[in-house]
Amino acid sequence: MAVVRHGAGAARMLRLRSPGERLALLLPVRALLVLALLGVVLLTVIAVSAANGSYPVPLADVFAVLSGGSASDPQLGLIVREFRLPRTLAAALAGTLLAVSGACLQAVTRNPLADPSLVGVSQGAAVAVLLVLIVLPGLPGGAVPAAAVLGAFAVAAIMYALMGRDGAGTIRFILTGIGVGAFLSGVSSLLLTYGKLEWVMPALVWLAGSVHAAGWGEVAMLAAWTAVVLPVMLAASRGLNALLLGGDVAAGLGLPVRRALVITVAAAVAAGAGAVAAVGTLGFAGLVAPHVARLLVGERQGTLLVASALVGAVLVAAADTVGRLAFAPVQIPAGIITALIGVPYFLLLLWQRRHTL
Amino acid sequence: MTAAAVAPASRKPLGRLGGSALALLVLAVIALAHLGLGARELSPGTLIDALVAYDPAQFEQFIVRELRLPRLLIALTVGAALAVAGALMQGVTLNPLAAPDILGVNLGAATAVVLATFLGVGGPGTLPWLAFGGALVTSVVVYLIGSIGRGGAMPLKLTLAGVAVSAFLGSLISAAHLLNQDGFDRLRVWLAGTLTGRDMEVFATALPYLALGLAVALLIARQITALGLGADVARGLGVRAGRLRLLALASVVLLCGAAVTVTGPIGFIGLVVPHMVRAFVGLDYRWVVPLSAVTGAAVLTAADIVARTVLAPQELATGIVTALVGAPVFVALVRRQVH
Repeated sequence: MAVVRHGAGAARMLRLRSPGERLALLLPVRALLVLALLGVVLLTVIAVSAANGSYPVPLADVFAVLSGGSASDPQLGLIVREFRLPRTLAAALAGTLLAVSGACLQAVTRNPLADPSLVGVSQGAAVAVLLVLIVLPGLPGGAVPAAAVLGAFAVAAIMYALMGRDGAGTIRFILTGIGVGAFLSGVSSLLLTYGKLEWVMPALVWLAGSVHAAGWGEVAMLAAWTAVVLPVMLAASRGLNALLLGGDVAAGLGLPVRRALVITVAAAVAAGAGAVAAVGTLGFAGLVAPHVARLLVGERQGTLLVASALVGAVLVAAADTVGRLAFAPVQIPAGIITALIGVPYFLLLLWQRRHTL
Repeated sequence: MTAAAVAPASRKPLGRLGGSALALLVLAVIALAHLGLGARELSPGTLIDALVAYDPAQFEQFIVRELRLPRLLIALTVGAALAVAGALMQGVTLNPLAAPDILGVNLGAATAVVLATFLGVGGPGTLPWLAFGGALVTSVVVYLIGSIGRGGAMPLKLTLAGVAVSAFLGSLISAAHLLNQDGFDRLRVWLAGTLTGRDMEVFATALPYLALGLAVALLIARQITALGLGADVARGLGVRAGRLRLLALASVVLLCGAAVTVTGPIGFIGLVVPHMVRAFVGLDYRWVVPLSAVTGAAVLTAADIVARTVLAPQELATGIVTALVGAPVFVALVRRQVH
């Protein structure tokens, strides 16, 4: 392990080598510090969320439960373990999936406004899930994530057919996604307005991006999903970094850029679908988190992905906590809070590009 | 604007008079179909009797006069209002994607109404004014955000600003719903945009404002045509662009606010209809504005027929039908008209 400088004025890098240099990693020191800090922030948000609510729980008890022990009062321990913790973790993991999905979509399309809910992917997953929930309520639980993935990939295929490879960087791409999303939202309204009320009410809360019913089952699913897509994205990130230098340079370096692109898009769509399947449509989290992460750690796709994952987790977990506590006992779904935060941010991005659009 | 849009009107297949006649004919047929079709299908003879020699004792004539005719009147008026508002917005902003729903104006009006319901203020008389306020604030905000930076109100910036503001307002509406679930079931259908069971009292309150908005639109139509020729030409023709924009804004706010008060936000009529009309009559807004009114009335009435009959005896919200038809048109417009 050694700290080195690469080139004059370059960032300080941490070099990790396995014996014989079969594997070597070069990591920017500053980014590592930022990532560690984000981890601390995330833990704080989770702890604060677990401690607050209609039954306040002392932080000491929260940490006792978090570290696998038992709380001073078994009832408080139960509240933390069975209700608050799974909910907050589900929010954090959903935020992670949306954020890495957005980061990948932004990198692949070279479009700073890309986000699973702005290019129609989330709505595609949502319509498919609503079909399962409202029209075919008898299907087993595993049908929901499967439907979400099918719906999301169907919309991705439609967008590709509409825009082709060259159109993705343009505003037209986003507007087309918004149009496709509007159509799919029409289908969702159709299903919601005229489905049976007993199926519609839970579906409606789900659709607004609420994690209030999330239990350990959702957490396990989201965690498994993250464990699959994030490594895939990281593995493909080298090809994407090379792409920042231009397609020809990447080809000259002998990197399989095309394969990296396809893998990244597939992983991004799957990540968006997983989040939607578990907690519904959470708008704008996938847009905002990668931008915040980019401000913190820069453009390198690998560190950017990890930072986006953490920022997304913090964002959605915090949004859920605010939505749960601000108007208690009424709960505002996290999706509404993320949209209320995300839209002004979207407008800010628009303002920053006011001369180039 | 595209090359196709500035082609001389004389090369249009039907010409202006032919197009107008066709639009009026289609409107008449659709209006009669709207009265005749439904859970109980009525003969043309019954329709004519109900309209010219009304006998309340006849149940079928009663259906026509008391149930279907009010609904038809609302469809015609709201369709015309939304289409004219869309035509004005497209003409003034020179943005082919401008429309009351795309730029968030409808949702702004709806948000004001929802928040008033949420706070328990306002009655039938004040509802239009709340809607005007919401529509006005949203229009101004979206236009300001959309016109910052070099080049002024570029179509893409304006459209994205509108879409983003709509998303924001949509979230506000959802939050208000969750905090006040009592009014939820009634508002749920209204917010999807519906012509079912509308209150004729509200319609009567809104009607004068709709008429005023339409009148303003017809008065400024000629100057909007001049504006489309470029700022310099327009100034040379004596058009004061700032004043024209304010008048157009007033008309749009009146039309959209009043329309939303009656039926809730109905999308895509204001986007699609002016494009249909311009394909026939070109860019002369003296023709575009009145024909948008006629065609908008026809399109919304047709959408309402579909909404009532396609899943009978269930009824769809009319706004869902217009969204399902209009969103693909929006995508097509983005592909064709934005470069």
